[in-house]
Amino acid sequence: MEVTDAAVVAQVLAGDRDAFRVLVERHSRGIFRVVYRMTGSQPDAEELVQETFLRAYKNLGGFELRANFGTWLYRIAVNRALDFLSSRKTQMQNKETYSIADSPDPEDGRQVQLPATGPGPERVLLSAEIQTRVAQAMGLLTPAERIAFTMRHMEGQSIEEISQALKVKTSAAKNCVFRAVQKLRSQLEPLAGRGAVSALPGYSGGYGDAK
Amino acid sequence: MNHLSEAQIVLHCYGDAEDGAGVDRHLAECAECRARFQHVQQLLRQIEPIEVPEPPAIFEEKTWLRLRDHLPEKRFGFRQWIFAPVGRWAFSAAAVLLIAAAFLAGRFWPRNPVENAKNTPLANPQRVVLVAVGDHLERSQMLLVEIMNADPGTLGDEQKEARDLLDSNHLYQASAMQTGDPQVAGLLDELGRVLTEIANSPSQMSPGDLQQIRGRIQSDGLLFKVRVVGSDVNSRLRRQEQAPAANSQRL
Repeated sequence: MEVTDAAVVAQVLAGDRDAFRVLVERHSRGIFRVVYRMTGSQPDAEELVQETFLRAYKNLGGFELRANFGTWLYRIAVNRALDFLSSRKTQMQNKETYSIADSPDPEDGRQVQLPATGPGPERVLLSAEIQTRVAQAMGLLTPAERIAFTMRHMEGQSIEEISQALKVKTSAAKNCVFRAVQKLRSQLEPLAGRGAVSALPGYSGGYGDAK
Repeated sequence: MNHLSEAQIVLHCYGDAEDGAGVDRHLAECAECRARFQHVQQLLRQIEPIEVPEPPAIFEEKTWLRLRDHLPEKRFGFRQWIFAPVGRWAFSAAAVLLIAAAFLAGRFWPRNPVENAKNTPLANPQRVVLVAVGDHLERSQMLLVEIMNADPGTLGDEQKEARDLLDSNHLYQASAMQTGDPQVAGLLDELGRVLTEIANSPSQMSPGDLQQIRGRIQSDGLLFKVRVVGSDVNSRLRRQEQAPAANSQRL
């Protein structure tokens, strides 16, 4: 029978540092996927996985053993990603951080590899263009918007989970998702006339309130 | 009729709008809002999740080996552990066990100082060597993994580590020979040659230099051997730790 995460944590708390390896082996791949989606860079994601586990180890004494270790670790990873994106935004100022590569260069962590698309060359081109614009718009999002959108749209996390991970109220978490979607819409709207997205009646591109 | 706001429409696509039932009712009645909602839904469907590359097969091991050296040595505080939910139960159980063990030990523990002296680590040189070699092999394993995954260029830290390991490698090799452990001595001999190569490579390692060292590690199956022997050393240590306990039970 597999030893539970809580039992392993108790072992580490009792002084068995090497037992922490079990937790690293169980969760590092999942954490990698999460932080990769948030950063879009493999080297950065690998670095963040390290930082997440290091932070988790240092704070293990505060972990409530009845809680889910994976969820706790996920929140740490999100926070690390948030810090990382905030510091990168400061460093890069307004530089374009993401580009789309036809043949992704593994050395360039700023490139986003696009998913394969369906049949038909026109459809493929259009879909690639959509993803290009999405990638560009992702670079325009604030760190909190980017993380909230990734968690909600790509990871399927609830608003409550996002608010807990970002340590904000649920209303603020919703607002982050909404703002992120609006920014993405403003990038994708120009493609509307080309069949990617049907024409939008009454859409002005603004953050309209109830009419 | 008031139309839905942008926020209501966007959030309703995820089922997060306030009063979702009210939004649904409005959408059923209002063709304009329904069209706007369907448009946003369609647009969001176009945004596919970012494809995540699969990390290398040794990702978990590499993560652990890199992490291990950065884990603080400090033990978790006794109070912190005691006040953890499981810690409280564990502490109570441990206290009961300790009292019972003290009682039983007082009654049955052999009072034979000569026998006890034989079981101390200092009285067993082979055990001392095994402990040191086990640690040495773990560090070497980590270095070899790092070299296998390093990018060409400055590998100053790795080379420094190789020099440190090389110093102790000679010592442990000689000790293993003296204590009659040819398996460990043989491995340390092979390891020493690769460590020498890493330590003496140019400080700016070219892709060719790095490839040569990797080829050497791979062709000798060195990483695999280090893992196997390291695991064997740890098993022998555990057996030695259990043996005195078994002996004392028999007394």
